[in-house]
Amino acid sequence: MPTPSIEVDRLTKRYGHRPVVQNLSFTVNPGEVYALVGPNGAGKTTVIRLVAGLAFPSEGTVRMLGVDPHHEPGVRRRLGAVVEAPAAFYPYLSGRGNLRLHGRLAGGVPEQRIQEVLDMMELGNAAERRVGVYSLGMRQRLGVAAAMLMRPEVLILDEPASGMDPLSLHLVHAVLRDAAAGGTAVLLSTHHLDEVVAYCTRVAILEEGRLIDEVNLLDRRERYRVVVEEPHRARALLETQPWVRHAAVRGPDVVFIPSEAEAVGRVTGLLAEAGLRVFELTRDIFDLRGYYRERIASERPTHGGATDRIADEPVPPAQGGGAP
Amino acid sequence: MEAGKVARLGSVRFSLILLILFPLLWAYAPGIYKVYGLYLVSAYQVPALSLLSSMQFLLPLLVAISAAELLGIEIANGTLQTVLLRPVSRSQWLLSKLMVVTLYPFVILAVFGLVSLLAGAPYGYGSFVGGTGLGQSGLLGQGTMSAGQAFGEVARAYLVAGYSLVPVALLALLFTVVFMNAAGGALATLSVLIFMKLLVVFPALDPYLLTTQLNAYAKPVGNLGWVVALIALYAAAFAAAAVVLFERKDF
Repeated sequence: MPTPSIEVDRLTKRYGHRPVVQNLSFTVNPGEVYALVGPNGAGKTTVIRLVAGLAFPSEGTVRMLGVDPHHEPGVRRRLGAVVEAPAAFYPYLSGRGNLRLHGRLAGGVPEQRIQEVLDMMELGNAAERRVGVYSLGMRQRLGVAAAMLMRPEVLILDEPASGMDPLSLHLVHAVLRDAAAGGTAVLLSTHHLDEVVAYCTRVAILEEGRLIDEVNLLDRRERYRVVVEEPHRARALLETQPWVRHAAVRGPDVVFIPSEAEAVGRVTGLLAEAGLRVFELTRDIFDLRGYYRERIASERPTHGGATDRIADEPVPPAQGGGAP
Repeated sequence: MEAGKVARLGSVRFSLILLILFPLLWAYAPGIYKVYGLYLVSAYQVPALSLLSSMQFLLPLLVAISAAELLGIEIANGTLQTVLLRPVSRSQWLLSKLMVVTLYPFVILAVFGLVSLLAGAPYGYGSFVGGTGLGQSGLLGQGTMSAGQAFGEVARAYLVAGYSLVPVALLALLFTVVFMNAAGGALATLSVLIFMKLLVVFPALDPYLLTTQLNAYAKPVGNLGWVVALIALYAAAFAAAAVVLFERKDF
């Protein structure tokens, strides 16, 4: 097990007597993209600020790269973060000027690296313009550029997609994915569940400051669904195979996780040999939106459902969502 | 870096405009005799007139507004969080602000004094019969005063006035940390100064009040020891409180 880059242990934050984060624990490992999702007011931004060291916990601990960022601010040399939406900059300085300032505060950064991150976020042409005239999306991209400036080991982003057009969004996703592939631990909060499914490793669902569920999206992406005669017998058979990590019956289907992607091709042969007719074998696409809606609704029995802007959007037809 | 930020503050530009206009208007205002009972005879008397009419309200207010804005604008723009996410300790960053607001009263008083002297040009810069209004003998003086003596009195008075405004600037910064916005910081400072002024009904408290020390510029040099110590005490207390609160603040 790698040493977690971020360790949050029984974190509680109260303003007066009102708890906004309650007994929250999670870890983010190097190379992971960990998403916090939840309705407005669920406590996502507070968690981001607590982890980044901008706010103090009422109870519990936050450790970043093994140390408490409040006691050892030097650890922030290895942190990149955007905690404002839109990202905050000095409006009278140019994009490049702001990045230079960030570099100075972080202990110095070569001019070449500033140009690299500007190019990476496609801001090379706007580098000399005052940030005051940047669009919302440009400021957000500059925020990601500033966060990436010091080649961080930990990236913390609050609503990185806020105000971005689809192309900028795609760019930011690609940058975050690459950063994670390079070993950076990424913690982000978002309302965009599609982006979460697209590239996050794990997702925490928050409601009223509590962690009500944590979903491992890597496992979910590797799931397959087989529509078969006698699903219980098929499940029992699959479970005995060394190349199947897990199998479960879900209604008329059997959902399984192969230990390697190539193993999927062996399933139809195995079941046919056992005399079981296979009607369909497909990847089990995880419907995070539906799952999220169900989980939030289950936490609000009296309200009968979530009131969040995501949850209010039409839910696509079920594609086998929910855990097996 | 912080000094550059001060120069860009709207309140600083506004203050400078006022402090440039003020002596230019006052030096030739028709009601000066009626209000202050004096006829100006020397350029060195204009700085006294400027301080007399602004030290109790206008200058503390302008200093408080700019000091509060220096931190308040970082809070409003969100750049405070951006800076605190870098490997800079909170107290280290606030100390740079504290240093700038400590120097700020001296800078604006230097401008104010210089413009006041320039505004008095038609009255002449030579020796004159009377006083600068900033020394022991007031505006009437004791015979003829040389230009050098007069300039010395003006410079000393402006230095002391700047010094006595330092706690006001630090108090504004402290209240901005408390209320997390510039308007709250400036108005709370103003309220405290008004409250202190009302405490003159307790004569025993009077020597200890910050508002009393705002008149220290007119005191003779020999009596300044106590004033310097008291103002330093106020400044240190406000600065320390600001750092302690800032260290524990949630952003």
